[in-house]
Amino acid sequence: MSSQDNLTDDTTDFGYERVKMAEKAGRVREVFDSVAAQYDLMNDLMSGGLHRLWKRFTIELSAVRSGQTVLDIAGGTGDLAAKFSKLVGADGKVILADINAAMLSVGRDRLIDKGALSNIDVVQADAQFLPFDDNSIDCITIAFGLRNVTDKAKAVRSMHRVLKPGGRVLVLEFSKPTSPLLSKVYDAYSFSALPAMGKLITDDADSYRYLAESIRKHPDQESLLEMVEDAGFVDCRYHNMTGGIVAVHRGIKG
Amino acid sequence: MEHDPAVIAGVSFAIETVIAKAIELSPGAQNRLKQLHPLTIEIHCTQPELEMFVSVEEDGGIQLASYWETKATVSIEGTWRDFSRVTTASDPAAALINGDVKISGDTAPLMQLQTIVGDLDIDWEAPIVNAIGPVFGHQLAEVIRAITRTSGTTHRRLKRQLSEFILEEGRLSPPKPELDSFFTAVDDLVLRTDRIESRLKRIKKRAASLTGAIE
Repeated sequence: MSSQDNLTDDTTDFGYERVKMAEKAGRVREVFDSVAAQYDLMNDLMSGGLHRLWKRFTIELSAVRSGQTVLDIAGGTGDLAAKFSKLVGADGKVILADINAAMLSVGRDRLIDKGALSNIDVVQADAQFLPFDDNSIDCITIAFGLRNVTDKAKAVRSMHRVLKPGGRVLVLEFSKPTSPLLSKVYDAYSFSALPAMGKLITDDADSYRYLAESIRKHPDQESLLEMVEDAGFVDCRYHNMTGGIVAVHRGIKG
Repeated sequence: MEHDPAVIAGVSFAIETVIAKAIELSPGAQNRLKQLHPLTIEIHCTQPELEMFVSVEEDGGIQLASYWETKATVSIEGTWRDFSRVTTASDPAAALINGDVKISGDTAPLMQLQTIVGDLDIDWEAPIVNAIGPVFGHQLAEVIRAITRTSGTTHRRLKRQLSEFILEEGRLSPPKPELDSFFTAVDDLVLRTDRIESRLKRIKKRAASLTGAIE
């Protein structure tokens, strides 16, 4: 499904529901307000710790060097930002951006605890309207955030605008399993185990039901690749991980 | 066959964690490693196909990655079997240079790294003491040391006794001096055969020249 399909009649997907575009950000905010405090714990439980490995490979692909500026959109609890902070060093800068104040607050507290805030700016920002200068960022990452954005194509175009020529974008997101058998197992897990876990840990099954639904409505590997290319990125490619459950897309600003 | 990056990332993470712990417990290792920054080693395994990068960080830490964009300081290429031979050799440095592993780039820092790894003196008692306190920790460490010593002695003794049984009692294999003497005799025989062969050639040549002179 392309993003264009999502945007007809001024409506968009919120999981399997159709909502007014203006409403989606608010609905997503409610979800993340509810899960923010237990977000990392839930990620570990839901993925069996695999999300750390997916993020690790994303960081490898970023090829970030000392002195660079990195923007981590939908950075939430700041786990990627903490890693980038070490890579860019004292001469570089990391911008941790998220639309959700509750997630940013958790992220900022974690970064303070880790003593990693010296080269990290925390910014509340919408991925569709990035409040940064054109050609000012060396690398942008968005991990498990794009599917929650109201207009994904607009967000990718916004990333293209703020990136420096030669800079790269990395989109880490749930995708489509490559094996039909894995797909069946994954469906059963997502729609039964995930909400049950959500209910148990955060007393909020609905938010985790939304998570499973939003993953199914998110563009598959090829559609997202097309979206990244359409935004003007070159040398675009993607790497499937864990049988395609997750994919990381990379594009370079020409 | 393309490997799942998440699997490689998991393996890298596990190895990195073990290396980090070993460095942490080896006094002085981190400072020596810092001198090697920014060393990057590309390890290319051709069978099975796999590429890994090992880099020494500014703080002396070791980072493993399956994706690296800048040029590596040194590249090592070989099959899994070649790499296994190097790691299990009594002298890994010699095995690396003289074996089937292909090396390109600056090998000096690689040798330095090998020396640092060889010199690692891991203080494994420290984490035990940190976990359960100095009194019990030290006692436990002593027990582990005693067990290790005893098992080492038992292993050596068993090896010697097994060797004695095979050679002396079972006569399943000839003793080394007997074997050496046999090989010396074989070498001697080979030399004498070679000498006879060349002598025969010389005589035949001489006979042929004499026959030619008579005709």
